[in-house]
Amino acid sequence: MSQDTKSPSLWTNLREMPSNAWHSLFRNPLPADDLGRASTSFTNFFLHIHPVKVHMNTLRPLYTLGLGLISFFLFLILTLTGVLLMFYYVPSTSQAYDRMLDLRGTVAFGIFLRNMHRWAAHGMVGVVALHMCRVFLTGSYKKPREFNWVIGVVLFLLTLFSSFTGYLLPWDQLAFWAITVGTSIAGYAPVFGKEIKFLLLGDATVGQEALLRFYVLHVAVLPLVLTLFVAIHFWRIRKDGGLSRPAEADAPAPAAVKAVEPKQNKTYGLQGFVRGPFSKVGNVPDNTVFSWPNLIIAEVFVLVLTIACILLLSMVFDAPLEEPVNVMHPPNPAKAPWYFLGLQEMVSYSAFWGGVGIPTMFVLLLLAAPYLDRRPAGVGKWFARERLLANTIFITLVVVNVVFVIVGTFFRGPNWEFISPWK
Amino acid sequence: MRLALAIASFVVLLVHGLVFYQQFFHKWENYQTAYFDQARSMAKTDAEKAALAARSPRVEQLLVTKFGDMRVDRCSTCHMAMDDPRFDKHAQPLRTHPYSEALGDRQVNGKWERRHKFADFGCTVCHEGQGRGLQEEFSHGHDEYWPEPLAGYIVQENWRKEYQPKLKGKDYMQANCAQCHTEKGFSGTPMVEKGRQLFFSSNCYGCHRIEGMSDGTLGPDLSEVGKKFRVDYIWESIVDPRANLATSFMPKFHINEDEVRALVIFLKSRRGMNFAETGLQRYRAAIELKQPAGGTGAAMPTGAALLAQGEKSIADRACTACHKLGDKDGGIAPDLSYEGLVKSEQWIYEHFKSPATMTPDSIMPAFRIPDEEFRAMAAYLASRKTPLASASGADTYKALCQRCHGEKGDGHGPVAIYLDPYPRDLTKAGFINSKSTERLTNSIKSGVAGTSMPAWGQVLKEEQVQGVLQYVFATFTKEPRRELKPLKAPDQNPVASSADSVGRGEKTFVQRCSGCHGRKADGKGPNSLDILPRPRNLRNSYFVNSVTDRRLFESILYGVQGTAMPPWIDYGLSQQDVGDLVNFIRSFNPKPVLKSEASRSDNARGN
Repeated sequence: MSQDTKSPSLWTNLREMPSNAWHSLFRNPLPADDLGRASTSFTNFFLHIHPVKVHMNTLRPLYTLGLGLISFFLFLILTLTGVLLMFYYVPSTSQAYDRMLDLRGTVAFGIFLRNMHRWAAHGMVGVVALHMCRVFLTGSYKKPREFNWVIGVVLFLLTLFSSFTGYLLPWDQLAFWAITVGTSIAGYAPVFGKEIKFLLLGDATVGQEALLRFYVLHVAVLPLVLTLFVAIHFWRIRKDGGLSRPAEADAPAPAAVKAVEPKQNKTYGLQGFVRGPFSKVGNVPDNTVFSWPNLIIAEVFVLVLTIACILLLSMVFDAPLEEPVNVMHPPNPAKAPWYFLGLQEMVSYSAFWGGVGIPTMFVLLLLAAPYLDRRPAGVGKWFARERLLANTIFITLVVVNVVFVIVGTFFRGPNWEFISPWK
Repeated sequence: MRLALAIASFVVLLVHGLVFYQQFFHKWENYQTAYFDQARSMAKTDAEKAALAARSPRVEQLLVTKFGDMRVDRCSTCHMAMDDPRFDKHAQPLRTHPYSEALGDRQVNGKWERRHKFADFGCTVCHEGQGRGLQEEFSHGHDEYWPEPLAGYIVQENWRKEYQPKLKGKDYMQANCAQCHTEKGFSGTPMVEKGRQLFFSSNCYGCHRIEGMSDGTLGPDLSEVGKKFRVDYIWESIVDPRANLATSFMPKFHINEDEVRALVIFLKSRRGMNFAETGLQRYRAAIELKQPAGGTGAAMPTGAALLAQGEKSIADRACTACHKLGDKDGGIAPDLSYEGLVKSEQWIYEHFKSPATMTPDSIMPAFRIPDEEFRAMAAYLASRKTPLASASGADTYKALCQRCHGEKGDGHGPVAIYLDPYPRDLTKAGFINSKSTERLTNSIKSGVAGTSMPAWGQVLKEEQVQGVLQYVFATFTKEPRRELKPLKAPDQNPVASSADSVGRGEKTFVQRCSGCHGRKADGKGPNSLDILPRPRNLRNSYFVNSVTDRRLFESILYGVQGTAMPPWIDYGLSQQDVGDLVNFIRSFNPKPVLKSEASRSDNARGN
């Protein structure tokens, strides 16, 4: 056996183990050059969702406001805290509330986990809605991103539904009556309303069956579907050419390249067909930067900021826990979760139109928006002048919704009568 | 960007530190350490000391399974010394739970032995509060959402300030004792017993149902009131019934604070099935309730003594919580001050026994008061025979009519909403001026049978009746009286009553009348809610029998001015049709006979 083929001694292996393990885990050292930056992005599983280089416009904080990322990070926080909460929770009408009391009083970090989960859930509903506003107001749903917008709308609905199903789980008065109100809004749907309600509740009223169904939906079905759609959403961003940006932020049209009139009796190489510079390298302004570290550090910042906000909120405010469920004693008024209070407010005018008709039309309008509005102008700019009409319609609808939510939340008292919150 | 990232990371780190501190340093650990230290200093043997030294703080809990759903009581996590007699002088939370012979604790060989052992009973069965909590805020029930704060010790922030001091005191715990000690007159729960007696003596049971005790239907069912509501709500509902429900017509009772307290404690103890009961026992109690209240068999006093007893009963039984009698006015039910001139003693007595048979739409409950007391009360009321002193029409109206017909004569007097039929709106000239003065005078003098309008004939002199009538004309009706043309209507129903005629009448009634008067002719048809005055209840036999055929014919054929009753002659009803209708209406209104008269005639026949 020759010296160089001899395998290293066990001692050497042991000695080099940490560094070998490290290098097998992270194939690249911290990048010092562009090649390293590029390979960092595409050799790491968690980073390979990023392009190697990312457009400068994508990194403008005021363009995206980081809302999509915040939604995603909130979802991660929710998954983590949710799994931990699952260790303590029992979806049973006789035990659920006691488990809440234990979480609040006895379990280490119990109240804190609940707070984080609660505030992150409310936050996610809000941030996802804001993200949708951002995408609309910058015209980012236009070709080629139409279908990703549709997925986004589906994700918004899934978020609402996840939050709604989670609302029941503490099994206190707040939960019970909010879900009673919420599901009876679903019951106003024509033809299948009653069936949908029955399917959701597994019974005529909110009870053990409903609790179990909501639990399974909340901890298994909806998170899985949501994860799948988030994956498609992200994948599509890459395939659609990154985030939207104004046309002028892209490279200008390349220098005119003219085709050559081929002569019949001449043999051409491929490059012989074109005139002008062969390569674009160095000839177009490069508006991109490497994802590592520019994009990564921005993302980490958003992550840390999100966690910091949720932690602070959870320190200061406790998640509500009201009386144990008392089926015979509804609170007056019984209110749905805040994001459905706009619906409830509209239901107080007309059960069908407020609860089903208008929301369905609103969702259909959202889904159809990229197929109705095909003009390519005004993409990538906030409140672009060319999109005045679309933006005005959208803002009007959003403001109307927000006003209804505010009225339903603060201005409605017993028997759904108008009250002033300042008195 | 990097600086911002660093700051944000620092915040995360800081919050983590705070959270760890919050989650790992508990007050109860300090209490437990203090307990171990002090117990060690009191320990007599080294072994005991060593055992205490070896203990470290941990969550203590009692699992209570014998009382309803399993309870988890972690109270002893802070209250370590509750069963350690050496700590009887210490401050809370490290203090011995007092021993008391009243609770059944006994001294054996100089050592106290508890009747209610903590291992069996836990803490919250008697004290309430939230057994699972480990922070005072939650476990003592300061948290406004917890339905059972420590009974008698904790009042919640959002309870009404003026009630808060009244809702403290050990006696509130008796409501919890009564969950097992259900026997009547149990000496350990005097407040529950006092409340139970008040529930009957103040006539609460007439309107409220408590399963196995009473079956009133006017007010809410109180069988589980103690489970549903907190003491502050119960207190408020008794002393200020309209605080929570503006339309409540529960009277304000003239009872003192101690009595309210006893009632609250009694009601707090009503929680449906209690720990000591079986379904069979409840069933038996319900059966017993069905037995009619008989007499006590006590000898009846006579003469002045009887009247005195009646007067006392009326005061004790809280009649003036609803009725007016002299200067006391409950503001709900009719004035009884002149009852002797308005009704006979017999009528009053029978009305006591079953108010709805005497005044069909009356809301007065049938109270289960001993027969002797009813007789005495009837005698006393019948003895009130002082007529109203001579006064002007205006003053007479104020004294007698205004309570129902209202200050403005529009029929909206203070007690009007409790009366059915509603008092007449005297401002409707269409009605008043289409009726002859003779009929109006008659209504005042003889009353309107089957309604709350009393016969004032003996209370008022003839000129007073005319005076008040003229006052009504001048002040409320205002329009001048006009000559009435005699209407063409038969004095007697020309159509003979027969099964055929009643059948035809019924058919017409269902087609033409039931929209307002209802299919049952009880005046509650689908349109009746939109109509004022409400359509007449034609099943009110006292009223229907007091009305002549002629008046029925006139009302049907020519309508009733000032009401929604149209002239049916314009809609094609013939005399024949109306005759059938009258026969139909009369067919379900047999002439009622006073029970006593019936039995008297039976006796006569027997003799």
